[in-house]
Amino acid sequence: MIQTIEASPDEIYDIELEHSLLEANARLAKENRILLDGHGITGIDIMGAIGSGKTTLIGRLVAKLKDRLGVAVFNGDATTSSDADLIAAQKVPVVQIATVNGCHLDANLVAKALRKIDLDGLRLIFIENIGNLICPAEFPLGSKARVVVVSVTEGQYMVRKHPHMFLGAHLVVINKVDLAEAMNVSVAQLAEDVRILKPDIKVIPTSCKAGTGLDEVAAELLAI
Amino acid sequence: MHEFSIASSIVESVLEFAAKNKIEKILEVRLLVGELMAVEWEQLRFCYGAITRETAMENSSLEIEQVEAAVSCPYCSYRGRPKYWEDALAAFPIVTLQCPQCGMAAESTQGKECAIKTIRYMA
Repeated sequence: MIQTIEASPDEIYDIELEHSLLEANARLAKENRILLDGHGITGIDIMGAIGSGKTTLIGRLVAKLKDRLGVAVFNGDATTSSDADLIAAQKVPVVQIATVNGCHLDANLVAKALRKIDLDGLRLIFIENIGNLICPAEFPLGSKARVVVVSVTEGQYMVRKHPHMFLGAHLVVINKVDLAEAMNVSVAQLAEDVRILKPDIKVIPTSCKAGTGLDEVAAELLAI
Repeated sequence: MHEFSIASSIVESVLEFAAKNKIEKILEVRLLVGELMAVEWEQLRFCYGAITRETAMENSSLEIEQVEAAVSCPYCSYRGRPKYWEDALAAFPIVTLQCPQCGMAAESTQGKECAIKTIRYMA
């Protein structure tokens, strides 16, 4: 929005723009949200580092939920379709969002993905973000909840190293807890770090391999 | 590197404004960046310099003003600066959304800005 134009004697002009740079994305995210809400669908943005277990977690949750309610998955991936292929084997609608060199998903890419599937009858859409702990934080997609997946293999200090990601999250899943002892990482300390950053975030420890904690995650997501 | 996306957005907006108003030379762009935004200023400057080459914005300076974070607490009605996590391992204090007064979850009310404030140009 242009507010004032002021000329200075030497023909140098200053103009106030107050132009938000992330507004275009925020607007599209809002449109996505309205579309999802209109269909009674909860969009869940899954964020986390490469190898934290995002795809495996989504796969396990889809297996648990798909017979009870309509589930679809968007897989953000810079290059490969390996994650999308894994989920598609479960016969649920899957859209791969290839960002090529992009380090985050944005609302425009999600809007395109939403046009690719039939939304009727769906209850949940998992949106797997790019494995990156900084960039996706600034780009809302239109999801109702943002989940951050942390695994104990990322070390004891991973939460405090990436505080921004957690400030906007609704749920934190601490994955691979079956490896905590071998990694010499305290799950309780990771959970405490999250609490220090944002006391109302729910933290659920899981092991996708052993299947622990997954019912709790599913229940939490359905309650959103 | 979302700094590249942000720099592209700056350049696109400013060049659009310049074209519409027949401005040939942009001298300075002043940005407002919130404390809660994970934006790396050096990277942003680097991207800005690279993208503005051979445009009306070439050699213009990019000034960045930080907007301090502020929070409000729905539990104890605190309003003001956030609590910082003075972690011995961190190079600088980390902003949190823990209420400095009661320790419950606070909400950010300021510090998520990312906007062009002013443009200085030559007619």
